[in-house]
Order: sequence, then C-alpha cells, then structure tokens
Amino acid sequence: MAVSVAKQGYELGHGHDEHDHEEVIYQETRDMRLLGFVLFLCSDVVLFSSFIFAYIYLRTTVAPTWPPIMDGHQLPRLDTAFAAVNSVVLFGSGVTMHYAMEGWKHGNKGRFNLFMLFTIILGSGFLGGQAYEYAHAQIGGWSGSIFGASFFTLTGMHGFHVFVGVVYLAVLWWQTSRTNLYDTHRYFGLTAGTLYWHFVDVIWVALFFLFYLW
Amino acid sequence: MATLAPGVKTGPYHAVLDHIHPEPTSFIRKYIFSIDHKIIGIQYMITAGLFFIIAGLLAEIIRTQLLSPTGAVVSAATFNQIYSMHGTTMVWFVVIPLLTGAFGNFVMPLQIGARDVAFPWLNLVSYWIFPVAGVLLFSSFLIGAPDAGWTEYPPISLQGPPGTSMWCIAVFLVGISSTLTGINFTVTILKMRAPGMTFTRMPLFVWAQFATSPMLLIATTALNGALAALFLERQFGIPFYNPAHGGSPVLWQHMFWFYSHPAVYIMILPAFGFISEILSTFSRKPVFGYKMIAFSTVAIALLSFAVWAHHMFTSGMVPWLQLPFMIITMFIAIPTGIKIFSWMATLWGGSIRWTTAMLFATGFLITFTFGGLTGFFLAAVPADYHEHGSYFVVAHLHYVLFGGSMMGLFAAIYYWFPKMCGRMMSEKLGLWHFWLVFIGFNGTFIPLHWLGLLGMPRRVAIYDPQYQFWNVVASSFSYIMTFAILLMFINILVSLRSGKKSGPNPWGARTLEWMISSPPPYYNFKKIPAVLATPYDFGNPLPYIGLDAAPGATEATPTHTSHPVPTY
Repeated sequence: MAVSVAKQGYELGHGHDEHDHEEVIYQETRDMRLLGFVLFLCSDVVLFSSFIFAYIYLRTTVAPTWPPIMDGHQLPRLDTAFAAVNSVVLFGSGVTMHYAMEGWKHGNKGRFNLFMLFTIILGSGFLGGQAYEYAHAQIGGWSGSIFGASFFTLTGMHGFHVFVGVVYLAVLWWQTSRTNLYDTHRYFGLTAGTLYWHFVDVIWVALFFLFYLW
Repeated sequence: MATLAPGVKTGPYHAVLDHIHPEPTSFIRKYIFSIDHKIIGIQYMITAGLFFIIAGLLAEIIRTQLLSPTGAVVSAATFNQIYSMHGTTMVWFVVIPLLTGAFGNFVMPLQIGARDVAFPWLNLVSYWIFPVAGVLLFSSFLIGAPDAGWTEYPPISLQGPPGTSMWCIAVFLVGISSTLTGINFTVTILKMRAPGMTFTRMPLFVWAQFATSPMLLIATTALNGALAALFLERQFGIPFYNPAHGGSPVLWQHMFWFYSHPAVYIMILPAFGFISEILSTFSRKPVFGYKMIAFSTVAIALLSFAVWAHHMFTSGMVPWLQLPFMIITMFIAIPTGIKIFSWMATLWGGSIRWTTAMLFATGFLITFTFGGLTGFFLAAVPADYHEHGSYFVVAHLHYVLFGGSMMGLFAAIYYWFPKMCGRMMSEKLGLWHFWLVFIGFNGTFIPLHWLGLLGMPRRVAIYDPQYQFWNVVASSFSYIMTFAILLMFINILVSLRSGKKSGPNPWGARTLEWMISSPPPYYNFKKIPAVLATPYDFGNPLPYIGLDAAPGATEATPTHTSHPVPTY
C-alpha cells in the first residue's frame, strides 16, 4: 500500500485548506523554537555550572577554612534566614507564573493579568531583597576574598537573569494586551517566558543550597 | 504527485520547508546580511581564510625565529605574543569556523534535504559576531597582544599585557557565535531532515555535525565561564585564579580543558565526516561499517568530556585521579581505531580515482593516525612527565590539527568547491598542492618529535645550540608547506574565474547536495525529496525520489513564495 506523501505534510500548501496549512506551520515552528529555546537554557545551565564548579573547587580544595580568613579574621556566614524569606518570594513568583499560564490556556484573561502582576511584583521584590542583602553582607565585598568572588559573581549572574526575566515578562504582558500575537491555542512566546522563569527558579535552588545551607 | 514506497517513514516537519522564501534582490541582503545558509557558509569561509593567512604568516615568523638558537627575528616578548596569537587564531578563528561555520552551514542543510537551517536569523547573528571578534583579537596587537600561549594559564596571563583582556572578550564572543551555531544545527538536524531520512540514513558528515553541535553548545559555554572569570580578575581584581589572593591557577586549567579537550574533537569530528564522504565517493564503494562509524562519532563526543585532566598530569593534581584519566583517554583510541579501520576497509577493493580530494583524504589517514599514536604516548602518565611542555606536544598537536583537521579541510575544499562555485578546481595545481603540503608538513613536524624527546621546551624564543640542526630542517620544510598553501589560494582564485564548468555532480557522488545544480538555487530544493536508503550504495538506483527534475533543470521559478507565517 503506497502512502500518499501529501498526507504526511510533504506537499502541503498545494490545494490544501489555508487554515490547516497555517496550523501545521505553526506547530512545526513552535516545536523547533521550543527545542532551540531549551537548548539555549541548557547552555545557560553550563555557564552557571562552570562558576559553581569554581566555587566548589575553591572551597573544597584550595581554601584552608570556610568561610575563608581575610585580614586576620574569619569571615561570617551569610544570613540564611533572610535569604530563605527571599527565596520564598522567588518560588512564589514561580507558582503565580504557573497560574497565569493556566489562566491564559483556559481563556481567562482576568486571571492571567492578575497573576502576571503578582509574578512581576514578586520577581522585583526578590531583586530588592537581593540588593538589601548585597548592601548588608559582611563578607568583604566582591574582590575581597574567594568567598565574595564566588558569591557575588554567581548571585549577581542569577540576579541579572531575574532582571532580564522581569523585563521579558513585562514585554510579554504588554504584547498580550496590545497585540494579537497570542491566543488560547498559539502562545509559544508565553511558554518560553514561563520556561525561562522556572529555569531561574531552579538555578536559585542550587545557589541557595550551595551558599546558605552548605 | 510523488508517493513514498511502502514502509517509508516520514517526519512531520516538512510543511514549513515547502515555503520557498523569495530571493532577496538588494546586494546587502543578498551577500552581506544574508540569511541564506549557503551565503553564510561562504562568508565564514572567506573570513576564516583571511584569518588563516594571518595565522600562517605568524607561524612563519615563529619558524624563522627558530632558525638560530639566539633568535633571528624578533624579541622574546614579541615572540611570545606571536605564538599565542598563532594558536588562538588557528583554533577559534580558523579551524572551528571552517568546519562548522563554513562547511557545516553550506553542506549540512543540503545533505539533509532542507531549505535552510532552523533559525536563519540566528545564523546571521552567529556569523556576524565572528569577524567582529576577529578584529578585536588582532587589534590587541596595538596595545600588547596576549603572551601566555593560546591556553593563557594564570598567573602569567594575569600579569600579561592589556591585550590579554581583549583576548578574553574576543574568544568569549566567538564562543557565543559557536554556541548559537550549535543550537541552530542541533535543531536543524533533529527537526528538518527530509522525509524518510532516518538517523541511519543520514550522510556521515551530518552525523559528525550532529555529534559536534551539542558539544559546541555545552563545552563552549563552560569556556565562556572561565574567560569571564579571567576577565573579571584581570580588570577588577576579583580573586579566582591568583594564589596570592586565595585563588588557584589549577582551577583555570580545569575549566579551560573541560572546554578545550572536547574542542579538540569539535575540531576533528567534522573532518572525519569529510573523509567518510570522500573516501566512499572516490572508491565507488559503500562506506564500510556505516553504523559503526556513526556510533564511534557519538562515542568520541561523549568520551571527550571525561578526559580533560590528561593535560594536567604535571600541574599538581591528586595522583589517584591521574590513572582514570589516563585510562579513559586511551579508551578514545577504540572508536578512533574503528573509524580508521573502517576507512581502510572502504578503500579495499575499491575502484579508486586519485583526485586531489582523494589524495588529501588518504594523506589524512596517514598523518592523522600518526598524530593519534603520539597522543597515546602523551596520555600515558609516566611518558607524559617527560614529554609535557616539550616540542613533542607541539609535534603531536600539529599532527592531529594540521595533519587531521587541515588535511580534511583541504580535501573538503577540493571536493565541495564545484558545488559552491559551479566550477572545477585545477587538478594539476591541486596535485602540486597536495604533494608539497604532505612533504612540507611531515618535514616540518617529524623533527619536532625528536627535539621534544631530547628535551627542547615549547614556547621559547631562544634555545640551546645543540637543537639547532633539526630546527633548521623543520623551518626549511615549513617554507615548502607555506608555498604549497599559497598554491591553493592561487588555485581557488584562478578556478573561480576560469575553472571548467562542473555541472551538478562532477564526482558521481550520491548525497543530496549533488542532486541539485551547482551552485544550488536560492531555495535549494524545489520539492523536498524523499529518502529511501543510505546514500552510499553505489550500483543501486538513487536512494531518493521526488527530486526536482533532471539535474540542470532547476531553473524553474518557485511555485510558492510566501514566508512562514510569523506566529508566536
């Protein structure tokens, strides 16, 4: 039995319903973009991993004590309690982002708007908390010791990612209200934004463990 | 309407390919900021070709300096900058861009029957980062180029001239370019193969790109982390590597080699792909052990992430870690050996045509195998204690990178030039090119093994007079090699103007790129063909159906000229 190639999407666009055709193209480009975006996130994970490796290496094989000694006295540990509260703020934004997407998928625009607002407020709140923490950390500054170097570089990179994420979500939110790029079936941009936001959360889990609990 | 034979699987990812983009008309959109993978491939080739000329001239300054034990040409400080820039340029600005950027871009989408890569705009960005990074790298000569070797080990690189920071930025940028290309190619190969092109029907060059692309996006990003830290430490004093501030120079070596060992395979796997295509075509025989070659490509890619510390046996790493790294490194000889033997078996009983491309491919078999064997010496911990940091290492890495990657690239240039430009290259000049390169190359680098074993350290501007004889021999042969490469450039320029018209398929090859006109039309394939078998079964009917038409008839205007709908 010969299988018609046209049915497999081989010669679509010739004598096919134009709407069907667009739908197939949408699904294909979405799948490709999704894979591309996930690969981009993978490479970003590697970037964080290289600095995490540097931190673990310096802490376990180079530093004689941890926290290290600077100018004759040992540096204090970081403020775990404050960071825990700040983490809850960030993870909370992941939860609200999830509900925003659920709202969008079910065509509930009001719910989407409300939870997007929560997400952006919580994300900005996390950044504010991090700024407060930077101002009050007693570990000798960015260039003071290997502790400061690893801590400020890694959390700074993460904070920059959160900042980019907040801007990203704000742009997406603006797009949903001012353009008709997305509907309840076609919302790849929103999927990518959500993925990015959860990715930032996951990185924070690792950083929280490495800097505050270890 | 074409139909597929029973049992042929088709992927769901072809509707988008049915859209033929309208060809751009303005010069700038067509040749400068093009999104066409073929133009981008050629842009990579020209840019990397220019960098290759610069790197070659730097190499000749190095060899001329070493004619005399007291240094004939430049001061020791300048010499350090020159060999550092030679290595940097060859690795990041010549070999990797030529293998993935140039040939990956030009050949791979054609071989899988696609109209372009998955993200053409991203491809444009990838390319344009690359010349910017190159200009930045070479302008570091103005403020003092990096002088700690291409590996830029701290603490020397922390004290290096200001250009070292520019080196960090330039290599960082070219790393971003590679990462984006890696993302692009991975998605392209996974999602855009022609119907029926299952994994076991992909040409072996596509397999090589498929193994290389994920390595590009994983390993290169790790290097970017190391470079960012080096930059931060140099410019702002953030302590990572400086032992005086609690850091560790060995940390850089771990981070650097975690990238740079996979990078070695990024620089050879696509060349393996070239060799598989070329040996099969010119022996008129199926590749022996197709599946084993494909499998060993992936095996090498995976193993390459677990061997980096074999560069660091003398750096003070813990002794118990040396043994596993030595053993895993030696494991790489297994998949590599599978390839070498498969290629030799491909030649066996073949009806061989000695074109220039074939000469380079067989030359590759000899020089690369030799380089692989000396790698075995360096992987052995006790032998490495003696050879590390000596000219033996220089000889080994040139045997695998020049005798491997560059010989593969020369073969690929002669093989695909007709497809790129529609004209044949001169076989007569090509013959001269091959033999002079082969003699010049071996004459240059065999003596370096002996110098290394005698104890001559690498990266020195002056040396003990007892080493002079073999240095003079090496330098003399290196001039022959440079002259031969000049012949290649002349050959390219002359053939562009007055080479014989090649027609679509001058070699009688069977992969998809040869089924369309030379150079290919803007949209590559008017219809996306369907694939029925592997492309190497010489003697069987073509493994494709639904090809546009008889070769030469692809001038027909595209029937459908809309862009994909910009949906999000």
